[in-house]
Amino acid sequence: MNINLKILKNDFKRNRAGNLALLLFMTLAAGLVVVATIVVTQLLTSMTGMYETAKPPHFLQMHKGDIYQEAIDEFNSNYDGVTAWQTVSMIDVYGDDLKVYGDSEFSLSESRLDIGLVKQNKEYDFLLDKERNIITVNKGEIGIPVILLDFYDINLGDTVELTNNGVTKEFIVTAFVHDAQMNSTLASSTRMLISDVDFEDLFGKVGEIEYLIEVYFTDKSMASDYQTAYQNEGLPQDGQAVTYTIIFMLSAFRDIVMALILILVSILLVMVALMCIKYTVMASLEEEISEIGTMKAIGLSFKDIRNLYLKKYKIMVTVGIIIGYILALILSNVFTDHISNTFGKQPISIFTISLPLATCVIVYVITNHYCRKILKKLKKVTVVDALVNGKGFGKKERVKDGLYKSKKMSVNLLLSMWETLHNLSGFVLVFLVMFIVSGIMIVPMNLLNTMKSKEFINYMGSSMNDILIEIESGENLNNKYEIIKKLLNEDTDIKEFKEFKRVRVETINSEDEWMNLHVDSGYKAGNELKYIDGRAPSEENEIAISKLNADALGKSNGDSIILKFNDLQMNFIISGIYQDVTSGGYTAKSIYNFAGIEAKKYQFTVNFNDDVDVKEKASEWNDKLGGGYDIEPMEEFINQTLGGVSRQLQVTTIAVVLIGILLAAFIVVLFMKLRLAKDVAQIAAMKAIGFTNYDVRKQYLCKIGLVSIVGIFIGTFISNILGESIVSVTLDMMGIGISRITFIINPLIAFIILPLILLAVVIGMTWISTREIREYNIISLINE
Amino acid sequence: MKTIIQAKGLWKELDGTKILKGIDVLVHEGEFVAIMGPSGSGKSTLLYNISGMDRVTKGEIIFNGEDLANLDDEKMSNIRLNKMGFIFQQSHLLKTLSIRDNIVLPGFKANSNTRENVNAFAEELMKRTGIDHIADHDVKKVSGGQLQRAAICRALINSPDIIFGDEPTGALNSASAKEIMDIINQVNVEGTTVMLVTHDTNVAARADRVIFLSDGNITDEIVLGKYEEKSLFERKNKMTQWLIKQEF
Ligand SMILES: Nc1ncnc2c1ncn2[C@@H]1O[C@H](COP(=O)(O)OP(=O)(O)OP(=O)(O)O)[C@@H](O)[C@H]1O
Ligand SMILES: [Mg+2]
Repeated sequence: MNINLKILKNDFKRNRAGNLALLLFMTLAAGLVVVATIVVTQLLTSMTGMYETAKPPHFLQMHKGDIYQEAIDEFNSNYDGVTAWQTVSMIDVYGDDLKVYGDSEFSLSESRLDIGLVKQNKEYDFLLDKERNIITVNKGEIGIPVILLDFYDINLGDTVELTNNGVTKEFIVTAFVHDAQMNSTLASSTRMLISDVDFEDLFGKVGEIEYLIEVYFTDKSMASDYQTAYQNEGLPQDGQAVTYTIIFMLSAFRDIVMALILILVSILLVMVALMCIKYTVMASLEEEISEIGTMKAIGLSFKDIRNLYLKKYKIMVTVGIIIGYILALILSNVFTDHISNTFGKQPISIFTISLPLATCVIVYVITNHYCRKILKKLKKVTVVDALVNGKGFGKKERVKDGLYKSKKMSVNLLLSMWETLHNLSGFVLVFLVMFIVSGIMIVPMNLLNTMKSKEFINYMGSSMNDILIEIESGENLNNKYEIIKKLLNEDTDIKEFKEFKRVRVETINSEDEWMNLHVDSGYKAGNELKYIDGRAPSEENEIAISKLNADALGKSNGDSIILKFNDLQMNFIISGIYQDVTSGGYTAKSIYNFAGIEAKKYQFTVNFNDDVDVKEKASEWNDKLGGGYDIEPMEEFINQTLGGVSRQLQVTTIAVVLIGILLAAFIVVLFMKLRLAKDVAQIAAMKAIGFTNYDVRKQYLCKIGLVSIVGIFIGTFISNILGESIVSVTLDMMGIGISRITFIINPLIAFIILPLILLAVVIGMTWISTREIREYNIISLINE
Repeated sequence: MKTIIQAKGLWKELDGTKILKGIDVLVHEGEFVAIMGPSGSGKSTLLYNISGMDRVTKGEIIFNGEDLANLDDEKMSNIRLNKMGFIFQQSHLLKTLSIRDNIVLPGFKANSNTRENVNAFAEELMKRTGIDHIADHDVKKVSGGQLQRAAICRALINSPDIIFGDEPTGALNSASAKEIMDIINQVNVEGTTVMLVTHDTNVAARADRVIFLSDGNITDEIVLGKYEEKSLFERKNKMTQWLIKQEF
């Protein structure tokens, strides 16, 4: 057998706990890093892969009402950089109109997503199946969007019955649709695929027609300039407009949040692993100090000795990484499930294999470098120090007199505090691990709590109310407005309601060009939003603008801007900048009434008296008013838009908390194992002079407990404070209009329950680890 | 004379080998007993079993009327703390504490005296053993003899009924050994029972009685009577001849 292997084998036998721990940490750290890499690469390659086939538009304008295709055609042919365009018609129906007959029977009325029936496109914007094939459905068949499967139990072969406007038609579910542009619960619509024949058959007879005006450019980033030009031209625009970036971000949001947490946790875990390596390496060097002395005495050089150790660690690190890599490959499915469900199966590419491998190599290089650094200490040890003086590598343990001065404190506590305070470096590992683990647990927990909180909607650019009513259909807008207003005025259940009118004005952007600005105007507009800077407008000549608008205009809080409307130019002062992801993130709020400008949209926020059933009220109004009104109970809305994200986040968070706790438990066990081995003589001496096993165990409990409390305490505070900035910076980089997030912290969980659980685990594991003290034989220990 | 320890039929097995083979020992209060015998004969084992630091395989050890074999860890520790003192070949002081703190620790732990009194008694003990000038030193920075004195102070801090020693002078030069033994003799004269394991005739010659242990059995004993410095030479001669008889 190879001599190195032999040494390694012997060493492994002798120092099983330490070596196993090292192996395990490398496995865990490498595994997590690989999973994180896999998630990110999978997400990016899947999305790009899917987008390549599906070809979602670079610019999308939704429109309800008449359409003049010639005008669009003419505009597009003259616009530089437009490569293609098409107008897709969609038959909008309500969830109520669709009944599913399968294992059970239900209607889709609960879904907040607008449902549009479409036929497959010819050249662009395809609806795909899981294998990314372009789906074709025959007459009488229907393709159901996969995102609905989150909420509904729909299976292939089920029957979907459409009843609307006196027409009834049945479809068999034959496919699940992967939609590149409307695949997130954060979007507002979703598309069902029916055959061309059925489509022509239903067109004009049922539902409401909505058009998707889709445009493609030589360069995707041209979309926002195009948007302004398009809208100024007065082309069809009664509906939302979105750009490629927003489509991409909305689709990826859920998985990005998860990837973010995985990356955070794996970075922290690598740090923990490195610390553990240092600790175990130091412990084994300490233990083998006389062998090292002997090796030096017989003439081995520093390099020889170091390489001996380094080889051993290299092998272990490599093995750990390989196991971690394999485990990660096996387990990564759990994390990439949502990705492949949404974006379809991604064939394995060079990236999906090489990037995780590359991260493994990076982890290896870092660890190796770190081991080298630790082993440098071998250089400083002299033969005399090692063999004669018994001086180790550790820093000098300082001893000061003073124990005897204590008046009251119990001896066990006194001794524990004493030893901890005077030998802090011996406990750094426990401290740092507790510090990091509390961070690992608390940051995702706070993020989760924030996302689940009602107030989170404020970050999204909406205020929290019982019901939000929106009307945006072109023709009868004012008519509908009056109807709603009358309804709200007459309903006695209402505590208060506010109305906002959306108008389009023009202003000058950072490049000195005119651009469109959508302003929501009304009493107390923008009052309940989260401001990054400033506050809601309180004067007629004030305006609050969203973060994305502020960036586009190149303005900051306190600057003035010119608004042009009705051939009038007016100066407004920016009173505040808020975060917004609604309406593509480009919005503004003002209390000026913009009288005489045509409204693009009306919004009513309604709050009821207590004990009014909001959902019931919403459906009552829906029944009363019929189509054309968007009546949204907000809680339900949040649940459906963010529910998927927070559910996934919840699973991830629970996993992370469990990992954190296991990690803490494991490290305590490892630490105690090494520590007890180091302390046997001391323990024996203490037992010999009359300390009970229980006393000695209590002392360890005190020591670990004290250090952990400090670690957890500091970790809890720092992560509650810093976590916010880390998440904010990341969200900002994503460019979806959220640049700062204030964690909505559940103090009970973040400051009390989690830290206490962690502490309890630590104390429990310490107690269990010290059980072996009972078996210690004083004599054999003393004789060592 | 009152009996302090009576051991009957002590058997000790370690990893399947019988190390003590049915030993009976009786120690009177105030007595100074030395144990001698070849290396590996089981002297240390006997001492540790009699003192309750190790559990016998069979047999009973009556200490002050209580059978140590039946005590739980708590009670046994309590006896070790209050009634027994130990001095080992290596001092086994706690490395993180100063000399003084090491000495007061069992006193604080026993809690039968106020901490002021414990501190005062520790000071007195250190003066008597001549280590008061290094009281606040690091235990790693003092000599072996000084450490052994500190260990004696620690053993005495709770005024035990008996002191056990396993070659307490084994690691010392003869001058230091003599000083340590003078202290131990002094303590014994003042009424504390002493039981020592030793290889050294100079040490054994100071005992009232010497037990010879061979292959796990007590094979002989010699009674020398209370020690007086002037008779040391005689006692040593007597010991030497006795040991020759034991083929030691
Ligand atoms: N933990 C153990 N397991 C097995 N055998 C042991 C153990 N400890 C000691 N022994 C054996 O028990 C016997 C008696 O050991 P002990 O230490 O009592 O001898 P001793 O008389 O004190 O010797 P010395 O004079 O060298 O100190 C020896 O043969 C020894 O090898
Ligand atoms: Mg011995």
